[in-house]
Amino acid sequence: MTELPAIAPVLVALSTGIFTLLARSWPRLQRVVVVAGTLGYAGVVGALSWDVVFASDGARIVYQVGGWRAPFGITLVADGLSVFMLAMTAVVAVYAAVFSVRFIDEHNQQVYYYPLFQFLLLGATGAFLTGDLFNLFVWFEVMLMTSYVFVAFYGNAIHTASAMRYLVLNIVGSALMLLGVGGLYATTGTLNMADMARMLAAGGVAMRPVVGVSALVFVTFALKAGLVPFQFWVPGAYRAAPLPVVAMFVGVTKKVGIYAIIRLYFTVFGTASVPTDVPGVAGDTPLAFLAPVLLVMAVASIVVGGFGALGRDSLEGLFAYSSIGQIGFIAVPIGIAAATASETLRKTGLLAGLIFALHHALTKGLLFLATGVIRDTAGTTQLSELGGLGERSPGFASVFLVGSLSLVGIPPLAGFFGKFLVFDTAGRQFATQTAGGFWAVTGASCLLAVLLVGALLTILYSTRAWMGAVWGDQTEPVQTSTVDAGEVAILATLSVIVVAVGVGFEPVYEFAEAAAESALDTDGYVDAVLGGADE
Amino acid sequence: MTLALAVTIGALFAFGTFLLLRDDLVKVVWGLAIFSQAANVYLVTMGGVVEGTTDSVPVLADHHEPFPATTDPVVQALVLTAIVISFGMTAFALALSYRAYEENETMNVTEWDR
Repeated sequence: MTELPAIAPVLVALSTGIFTLLARSWPRLQRVVVVAGTLGYAGVVGALSWDVVFASDGARIVYQVGGWRAPFGITLVADGLSVFMLAMTAVVAVYAAVFSVRFIDEHNQQVYYYPLFQFLLLGATGAFLTGDLFNLFVWFEVMLMTSYVFVAFYGNAIHTASAMRYLVLNIVGSALMLLGVGGLYATTGTLNMADMARMLAAGGVAMRPVVGVSALVFVTFALKAGLVPFQFWVPGAYRAAPLPVVAMFVGVTKKVGIYAIIRLYFTVFGTASVPTDVPGVAGDTPLAFLAPVLLVMAVASIVVGGFGALGRDSLEGLFAYSSIGQIGFIAVPIGIAAATASETLRKTGLLAGLIFALHHALTKGLLFLATGVIRDTAGTTQLSELGGLGERSPGFASVFLVGSLSLVGIPPLAGFFGKFLVFDTAGRQFATQTAGGFWAVTGASCLLAVLLVGALLTILYSTRAWMGAVWGDQTEPVQTSTVDAGEVAILATLSVIVVAVGVGFEPVYEFAEAAAESALDTDGYVDAVLGGADE
Repeated sequence: MTLALAVTIGALFAFGTFLLLRDDLVKVVWGLAIFSQAANVYLVTMGGVVEGTTDSVPVLADHHEPFPATTDPVVQALVLTAIVISFGMTAFALALSYRAYEENETMNVTEWDR
């Protein structure tokens, strides 16, 4: 069975979830199961990545669920883009799971924490692998259902209020996605992404309704990613959920939104042609409509996230706003990739977005887990009540320093390459626009300016977090605290990964390049999924 | 038929949105339920309600002429899934709203803590 690896991550996450549920009466066994299961998940994803990207150079593994051939059944497709996202998920999930064992108190661990954690992982995995639009909606719901429970997990006034807001927003989002999916089915007559891509490329489908209806789906994806103006849920949900789960939210759930935008617009809609008349945007695909919208939202996210982070008085609030801004940094190169007509720039843009997404998942995951250590240690994350953690625990301080420096983008950490590639893409875009008239030049220079302002704001708020929490005199809560050496040790290994991604950047770059290539290779995707259909 | 469905869907969406914007938590949850059901009705409509043939609806093979007007079986399967999901969501929303009421001591969402 050569196609079995494609469904393996789903199966591992699902069975780990079920086993943790069965082992609920034996907390020790449950912890062993969850750590072993998540490590197993990482192993399976690692093997899949090796198969797809490194061993066979851009192959796709297609699994037809239940033996029903595409486009009639549900298809799972593991291509470069999917496995890149899965690999990122696996790293974050392993750290979140191991950290949970130490961080979440015994009683709460027993309240379905681990089964929910595994089902959150399952939902994200399914969303990354599925090749069917309606199935994507179902996986979104799996992921959302668990995340509602996690936001309400601690069950106090503030948590239930945040969960209710998060729930209402996302149910409306899901209904909109359902409308979009229904509309796309009505116009194209298929739900299989590859089949849809084939039909759109062949022409004969009314493109205007497709582009219009896809806007509804786009809204849902942007809501998941937390792009402005759909960012309202982010600070509340991040403040309420348990911190290891917040690391999953930043590292995985948000990236599902980004992934879905790339998959739908670049892979499925990328080869369709539609009459366009958008100033400053080249090409005649639906991407031309995505580009201006995504760029405006990305720029707004960078500004709102950056200034918002400066004004927060707690670490979670600061990092929550920071992640709104960082999602903007991921969306800018993707928007440029959509706007450009040049093949190389399009690939570079996607590549930059993916690398930045990886950096953000690792770095912000590290910082949120570090916030967890602070919460455990001092019992508070209010910047005004913190200080002197560096004196208290130099080990923790160095982990926090690695996270902060990577967020700012100091070489040779992961964040440097993320930021460098984003600026590189924006710079190249600027260079191609210089001949394009006044508005094109103004637009491209505004984009560069906002990126610079965003980078500056990142330095400011990272410094603020560092000065507030780590430097200065020890405050009362810090003085009376004991730093959990186990938690710091876990984070230390994650910070080593953050450094290693930067130092050994070559394979990471190749991986992301393969992901970007497979995202743009619509024909290959269609062939892989539908190729066997004629036999 | 299409016109009747279109009017129904429009009315459901309007009513759902109206309820979603109320202060009272129970009305908000009602709004959610109606909003998702409106999406379901829309989904069925998108399959196109037309006179069936034995090709489009295999179950009709033994049915005598004339075939009744029916919608695409694929969207019916989709809606079935969507109904189950929205049932789960509504149940959770109701449970959560009771807990939120207990914790925040009011059903008026505008009086909750930020």
